Amino acid sequence: MIIGIDIGGTHTDAVCVDGRNITATAKTVTGDDLVHTIRDAIEALAIDFSKISRTVLSTTLSTNSIIEKKYAPAGMIVSAGPGIDPRRYFFTDDFHLVEGAIDHRGREYIPIRADEVARVAGTLKKKGVDGVGIVSKFSVRNPSHEIAIHSIINSEFEHVSLGHTLSGGLNFPRRIHTTFFNTAVMPVQKRFVHSVRKALAELGIRSPLLFLKADGGTFSDSAADRHPVETILSGPAASMMGGLALCHDPQTTTLMLDIGGTTTDIGILIGGVPILEPKGVDIGGLKTLVRGLKVMSVGAGGDSCVRVSGSEILVGPDRDGPPACMGGPSPTPMDALAVLGQFTKGDRQKAVQAVTPIAGRLGQDLSDVCRRIISILVGNIKKSACAFIDEVNRHPVYTIYEMLHPEIVEPGQLMAIGGPAAQLKPYLEESFGMRCTVPEHAMVANALGAALARTTRQITLTADTQLRRMICPELGIDEQIPASMTLSDLRRRGERELRDNADRLGISAQGEISVLEEQVFNIVRGFSTTGRNMRLKLQTKPGVIEEWSAL
Amino acid sequence: MITARRKTGLIFFPAYDWEISPSHPERQERLLYTQDQVMEEGVLDIEGITEFKAGLATEKDICRPHFCVPDVESRITPSHSVSAGGCIEAARLVLDGTVDNAFALVRPPGHHAMRVVHGARGFCNINIEAVMIEWVRKHYPHIRKIAVVDTDCHHGDGTQDVYWHDPNVLYISLHQDGRTLYPGSGFPEEFGGPNALGKNLNIPLPPRTSDEGILHVMEHFVMPVLKDFEPDLIINSAGQDNHYSDPITNMSFTAGGYARLNEILAPDICVLEGGYSIEAALPYVNTGIILALAGVDYSYIREPDLDPERIREDPRVIDYIRNLTDDLLDLWSRREHFERPQEEFFRRSRNIFYDTDGISESQHEVVRVCTECPGAYRIDSSASTGYHVLAIHIPWGACSRCREQGLAWFEKPDRKNYYAVYLQDMDNDEYSVKIL
Ligand SMILES: [Zn+2]
Ligand SMILES: [Zn+2]
Repeated sequence: MIIGIDIGGTHTDAVCVDGRNITATAKTVTGDDLVHTIRDAIEALAIDFSKISRTVLSTTLSTNSIIEKKYAPAGMIVSAGPGIDPRRYFFTDDFHLVEGAIDHRGREYIPIRADEVARVAGTLKKKGVDGVGIVSKFSVRNPSHEIAIHSIINSEFEHVSLGHTLSGGLNFPRRIHTTFFNTAVMPVQKRFVHSVRKALAELGIRSPLLFLKADGGTFSDSAADRHPVETILSGPAASMMGGLALCHDPQTTTLMLDIGGTTTDIGILIGGVPILEPKGVDIGGLKTLVRGLKVMSVGAGGDSCVRVSGSEILVGPDRDGPPACMGGPSPTPMDALAVLGQFTKGDRQKAVQAVTPIAGRLGQDLSDVCRRIISILVGNIKKSACAFIDEVNRHPVYTIYEMLHPEIVEPGQLMAIGGPAAQLKPYLEESFGMRCTVPEHAMVANALGAALARTTRQITLTADTQLRRMICPELGIDEQIPASMTLSDLRRRGERELRDNADRLGISAQGEISVLEEQVFNIVRGFSTTGRNMRLKLQTKPGVIEEWSAL
Repeated sequence: MITARRKTGLIFFPAYDWEISPSHPERQERLLYTQDQVMEEGVLDIEGITEFKAGLATEKDICRPHFCVPDVESRITPSHSVSAGGCIEAARLVLDGTVDNAFALVRPPGHHAMRVVHGARGFCNINIEAVMIEWVRKHYPHIRKIAVVDTDCHHGDGTQDVYWHDPNVLYISLHQDGRTLYPGSGFPEEFGGPNALGKNLNIPLPPRTSDEGILHVMEHFVMPVLKDFEPDLIINSAGQDNHYSDPITNMSFTAGGYARLNEILAPDICVLEGGYSIEAALPYVNTGIILALAGVDYSYIREPDLDPERIREDPRVIDYIRNLTDDLLDLWSRREHFERPQEEFFRRSRNIFYDTDGISESQHEVVRVCTECPGAYRIDSSASTGYHVLAIHIPWGACSRCREQGLAWFEKPDRKNYYAVYLQDMDNDEYSVKIL
């Protein structure tokens, strides 16, 4: 049995899955103490705790601490060398620039100065800073400067993150942001993981604890201790994965709509896998290297505020409160549904009272106006969805082959979850001109998504046979290679490393490995080839665990 | 977070699956390290700098500036359509107002490709700037005067040739002196055809010219000329082989110099041309150019091995360049007073060598000297490939006499043994071919 828990802003959902069956669900109120909340949710499931094989959490802990800036002060030691002035990316006084530079092939051209690093560490220590992030430009091509800085300051700080271990992607400013956030939320996350483990033990649950990440995959609690930044934005990831788990025909390209009160999250599933942000997700107004799902959030939901402007009806993008039929202040699409008798939970009379003035001002029949309100809401969602698909398809490509054989993303079905999904289904089908599925357990889709997501990690390998060097930043590998190494050697090596380090990466060693990208280029000196520059990205494939999807 | 002062569009198309040969300077990984540097610097995350997808130039787009012999399909590969299509996208972004300026960081290059194309010259098959310019003139008729400032180290003999007779396209080339480098042309005496005198300006620079010399030419010659010409669109053919580390040239320009050049010029569109120091120069030069276009501080962009003292030019080089720019400026100021040929038709004959494909071509050109329009012309071209063709150009804004003359040349070729007769009718956007 697997337990999935999604801690949302107001509600916490829990679900228990046994094989292909959902055996229990629970919905509780999210309290101030997240550990209590988790405990309550598990207890509300009323199941035999000894049979739980793993517990997966999707929390807003790191997301909120970043957005609300409720994190511990963290110092940053950054080496860059020439290029865009890195101080443009510094946002507290605890960011320090030190000497040192590495070029795009990973060659050092300005060394680190130990005395300078030690002095900076001393300054941070004196200020009482406990956590330090270390970043150097091109550290994913040569991590030695980050490692050197770490060894100089090693014993002095409790929480340390090294940029190259967090992502193999190139992007120095994003590496700075990612490393800062990781360091800053580390103490909060560590405390949290510790308390959750304790609470689970008290309930008699000793099986593994996992966390959902922004990319719709999971990793172990100990990996989450070291890389808490990867657990940001797990909410939208949970809903996309939940939708995927409940999708009857995941092989058809699916447009996923998570329709809430205020916003609708739009995502795309291709071949049973959600699409990712190519460079990394944004959080707190900053860009990171954190691998995450590509999701567009639009201000269109069941509680969107309805207004009249001239002869136009405007729906959203803001929310004024709950629908009028639930005691709210203004008319909403839910009220329109209530008037039409398609939403029966609220007070229909209040809905009629709220929508009637609009009908009056427009001189239209009440039910016509209601249908118009809903079609405007659905139209807004559709407009954003089309822009989203368009954006995906406009992604630049770098080879002639891809230019001549474009892979066009064209969804063939809709999947809607969230509060108003069931009521909006017929309107969505008409507007989009395709089948829309609203799954049976849509109410606990997020918790289900957490429960059923596979473990995922990505590693990056670069091999330069002229410099005789291979690097895998995520695993800290930096070693000499023979000049004869080929791309298939590198691929085999990467697959082996991914399996051998499964524990450390916090993933299952059985996960299906897929190649995300591979490239090989000649290195030419004068007019002869003197080596090969190879780049490889491997991942354990995201998706829903086989026990669920195989049946 | 950094915000750009100007919205800049980047069309990046490295064509990782195209090369002339694996160890040729024009090979697959030419822009690989540039991509690494641009990515690592986070240039594309700067607010206001946006990457856009390249497009595909159509056969018609290519026929506007070129007579491809025997046809477009035989002379290009898909890579050329994408590279030219990338330039077209850059122009579209700028002219539609999506961005303030754009950089087509594409390959393969094009500035050695001439109007008649029998094969590849100087790694170029089609002139990607010219394909873009003619597309602009077709789709944005309010763009009447265009300036191309070619800062590649090699003389852009292709662009010079395509616009030799066109008074509305000003071509200015700064390059290493043709006596010391391919293609061996690009002297001040090459001043434009009889209907476009003064609209072709060459500034041959001595080997080892560095930042001071090149920027002097920009400030004291190129900018005053542009001020007089008042172009509607400025294009920089941004070749990067003036760099001190370039393996096939002998100049001493730096990444900072290239950035400053673009800051001074403030082009609407930059198009990558040559530049073969793929590890030591291109990553830094391209980063610098993008930042300069966007109005972002580039002063910290510097090559790892830069030693300004080592590459500084000899004072005699600076003196030479000062005198040269003074003379050229004087020549430019007298452009209206040059005497045009008195006869109705002006003829020239020349031989053209296609070094990349090893083809030689012989051309006999006749242009109608006209005060009403840029003048129709015909080119009788025979190449060592065996093709002998006649190519006729009726220019944008052709007067009725030039139009009649062009059509007459096309209808009644002067000899029977041409393989084919081609016609470019710009105003009607019609490109015809008759196989004889
Ligand atoms: Zn060149
Ligand atoms: Zn005329």
